[in-house]
Amino acid sequence: MSKTSQYQTEPKLAFGTYEDARAMIGHHGKVAFAESEINWPAIKLFCSATEDSNPSYWDPDFAKEQWSGIIAPPGMMMTFMLQLLWRPEGARATPFLAFDVPLPGDTLINVSTEAEFVKPFKVGDHINAYDTLADVSAEKETRMGVGHFVTTVTTYRNQTGEVVARNTNVMFRFTAKRES
Amino acid sequence: MPGQTTKFQVFFEDAREGDRLPKIELDASYTKLILAVAATGDWFPSHHDPEYARKQGQKDIYLNTTFIAGFLDRIITDWAGPRTFIMKRKFSMQRSIFAGDTVYGEGIVKGCRKDDEGKGLIDVDVMMSTQDGPCVPASATILVPCRGEE
Repeated sequence: MSKTSQYQTEPKLAFGTYEDARAMIGHHGKVAFAESEINWPAIKLFCSATEDSNPSYWDPDFAKEQWSGIIAPPGMMMTFMLQLLWRPEGARATPFLAFDVPLPGDTLINVSTEAEFVKPFKVGDHINAYDTLADVSAEKETRMGVGHFVTTVTTYRNQTGEVVARNTNVMFRFTAKRES
Repeated sequence: MPGQTTKFQVFFEDAREGDRLPKIELDASYTKLILAVAATGDWFPSHHDPEYARKQGQKDIYLNTTFIAGFLDRIITDWAGPRTFIMKRKFSMQRSIFAGDTVYGEGIVKGCRKDDEGKGLIDVDVMMSTQDGPCVPASATILVPCRGEE
């Protein structure tokens, strides 16, 4: 009997000092490719969660006339780079450079994003992306705990190499205030 | 308009500063939060594991970034219509949205302008809130068709 796997849902974080983190500013992560091409079943699942009835996502005739095919909501952008929890040869690490930034905090929470969309995400597009570390803040205290704000810029391209979107993301890497 | 199945569309000439994006509502039940995880593939534990969320100092599991982005898009296109392209969108998750919350979305037109090529752009401010108050302020620039462009 084969044993069940233990899902690794908590990212493997790099640990270090603020100075270590600052030294990484300007670094690029590896280019990572989406597990699958953008596909209609994934779009419908996403829209069933947000309860989004936009016919650009549901009605092939309308979508063909307007966009030359079904498109994905822009909000799906980050889903393209998220990884399966299990694969035959082992799960792949989530390709977020923010996790590789050495800092003291043992957990994280996402804070803000600023996205620029160049063209729609279309069914059949095979998206790839890479991160650049843009900034690491000095130590700050928030309602969550003490930590650092980590700013990354992600460049998304399609299979022809065209840039389709850019996203600037700020994540708070912190140690929680633990009561009791 | 919420639940539209028609192809209602706001044209550039129709929009005015101060126009309201109609309020929409969503039940952030446990089922919804688990569906949000499945639909986004965001398996970071704070979105599905209450024990992990509490270790972070949160009261329960909370909605993930990607779901929030998708709901903000819906607030905008439910109002503007399906021929709308979201060009820029930024948001700040000032308060988390927890399992059991009721989520509201609404917005207002901040300005209408044409770009260098004569395309119609509308700037909107959007807010996601719960029964406990504002959570995610957002703003976006959208591209809508001009009348006679069809």
